[in-house]
Amino acid sequence: MSGSTRKVLVVDDEAHIVQVVSLKLRNAGYTVLTAEDGEEAYEVVCAEHPDLVITDFQMPYMTGLELCTAMFENPECADIPVFLLTARGHAIDEESLSRTNIQEVLSKPFSPRAILESVDNILNNGGDGENTRAEAA
Amino acid sequence: MKTARLGSTLAIAAMTVAAAGAAWSLGSVVQTVTSPYLRALAVGLGTALISSSVLLPIAWSFDRNMQQLRSYLAGLMEDTDDEDSASFEGARWLRPLVHSCTALVDHWRQRTAQAEARSREIEIRHRISEADRKHTEAILHSLRDAVLVTDSFNEVMMANEAAGELLGFNAAEAGHQPVDRLLDDEVLLGLIKDTREVSNLGARKHVEHVIGEDTENPRTFEVTLSCLPGGDDRVAGVVTILHDISRDKEISALKTDFVSKASHELRTPLSSIRAYIEMLLDGEATDEDSRREFYEIIQNEANRLARLIDSMLNISRMEAGIIQVERTEVDFVEVADEILEVMHPQADEKKISLNRKSGPEKFVAEADRDMMYQVMLNLVSNAIKYTPEGGRITITIENDEAARSVLVTVADTGLGIPPDAIDKLFQKFYRIENYKRVAKGTGLGLNLVKHIVETVHSGQIGVKSKLGMGSKFWFSIPYTYMGADATRRDSREAKGKFNVRINAQSAGS
Repeated sequence: MSGSTRKVLVVDDEAHIVQVVSLKLRNAGYTVLTAEDGEEAYEVVCAEHPDLVITDFQMPYMTGLELCTAMFENPECADIPVFLLTARGHAIDEESLSRTNIQEVLSKPFSPRAILESVDNILNNGGDGENTRAEAA
Repeated sequence: MKTARLGSTLAIAAMTVAAAGAAWSLGSVVQTVTSPYLRALAVGLGTALISSSVLLPIAWSFDRNMQQLRSYLAGLMEDTDDEDSASFEGARWLRPLVHSCTALVDHWRQRTAQAEARSREIEIRHRISEADRKHTEAILHSLRDAVLVTDSFNEVMMANEAAGELLGFNAAEAGHQPVDRLLDDEVLLGLIKDTREVSNLGARKHVEHVIGEDTENPRTFEVTLSCLPGGDDRVAGVVTILHDISRDKEISALKTDFVSKASHELRTPLSSIRAYIEMLLDGEATDEDSRREFYEIIQNEANRLARLIDSMLNISRMEAGIIQVERTEVDFVEVADEILEVMHPQADEKKISLNRKSGPEKFVAEADRDMMYQVMLNLVSNAIKYTPEGGRITITIENDEAARSVLVTVADTGLGIPPDAIDKLFQKFYRIENYKRVAKGTGLGLNLVKHIVETVHSGQIGVKSKLGMGSKFWFSIPYTYMGADATRRDSREAKGKFNVRINAQSAGS
């Protein structure tokens, strides 16, 4: 596995989800940072500049989408790619997405295997290069 | 009468003889008179004498016959059944006339009788149709749907009270008024106009229409428009019926909302279960300890899923009134002590003191024991969740003699509830966003508790709280159950048993 120096931030208010995603990525050789909500995540993003953020959509204080918008508006972290995890069936509208750097929307229940695959893809293809935006139903 | 007639005939004959005699003697006298004047005078006198002696009896006889005829006809005209009174005894030569008159009167009498019978029948028919009309009108007025009937001149033929109320006019005075003067709803007026102008008489239109869109309480109606057929395949009018479907819409919106929230809540534990199973299958858990941890997570999440499904089923069964309720004399102190025992380990973990306060008397009410257990377990479990370490939780049990009910209060020294959240606290799936991190939950616990207390037991529930100081949840259950027992109604639907999944680890889901 490549990308041993790559840093991924995993954000979710459900500890189990953070735990399982972190373990999967750590086992694959990534450095994993974690946060419980949007505010905390934003602080970590500013301080640590991860290569990728995987965030839940529905969280207290600051939703995943708000986090993504805040990151996009900050020139220092606007180009960090984001995966949005959501348990909601509804799709997030194009307009909101256009004001973020969300690369993929993954719906819960999710597969850690599939997340690792997406992470491998985006980080080993340069990450900031092509925007292969795929929306999971 | 016969003698009188004979007499008068004889008199006429005698007078005729006398007159003839007089005329003859006068003739001989005249011949003896030589003066022409005297002669003329004598002839004149003689003629007058003769004619009067002949004509007078005839006139008298005629007059008598006429009188007879008149009185006979008068007798006929009188409406009497006495046949004898209607016999004519006048001259024979008058008999044909009398017969004709009798036949004529009979004929007209029959005609009159027929006409009277017909008139009575019409009168009865009219009364029946009037009664029918009144019934129909009463039925129309008793309808909750608004009914408005307009004619081909676009004037109101009929409008029921519901129509007047809904569209803002006096239904009783709406007759023959142009409908566009009564209504200012352009859409509705347009619909009526379109229907009136349509050529297909059988056409029936259903349109959804919102009334009071810019008011606080807009209502959605299903408008049904159909043509009132006239005599010659033309549209005589339009029947407009407005049926309020706001409530149906509301319910379907609530259902959709419930399904979307429920599926979200179900997906969260399912998500963990699937992810951890996949991790185990992929061999990501490298040592026995982490494998064991994964199994436990899967088990807990599966339990959470089961509790969630039970709660949802219990709530919907209570809402539908098809849950089985086993009412017994429940001793609330006994239930509270059971809860204390079950919850003590959790309280101890957070160094929270958990106590019961109550007098020496009995606290008994007619209730379903399992449900009472569930209510107290939920309230105490919530109190432990949202009370920081070192706090205090007290269950107080009292008899509210005035309200004839047992009053249970669970007071904590916890975080308290923000004022704007108090109203929404008992709603399905509501969770205070900022407390989600403090403790797990589905947002169904308090809704279930409210249903158990209010819907099933006709009790009351409430909360008082001060942010940062703590909360006080209370509920009361009447000593004896009095309400109409919707939950016991004889229903052919499958009844469900109330499911309590006791899991001290996370009882307050």
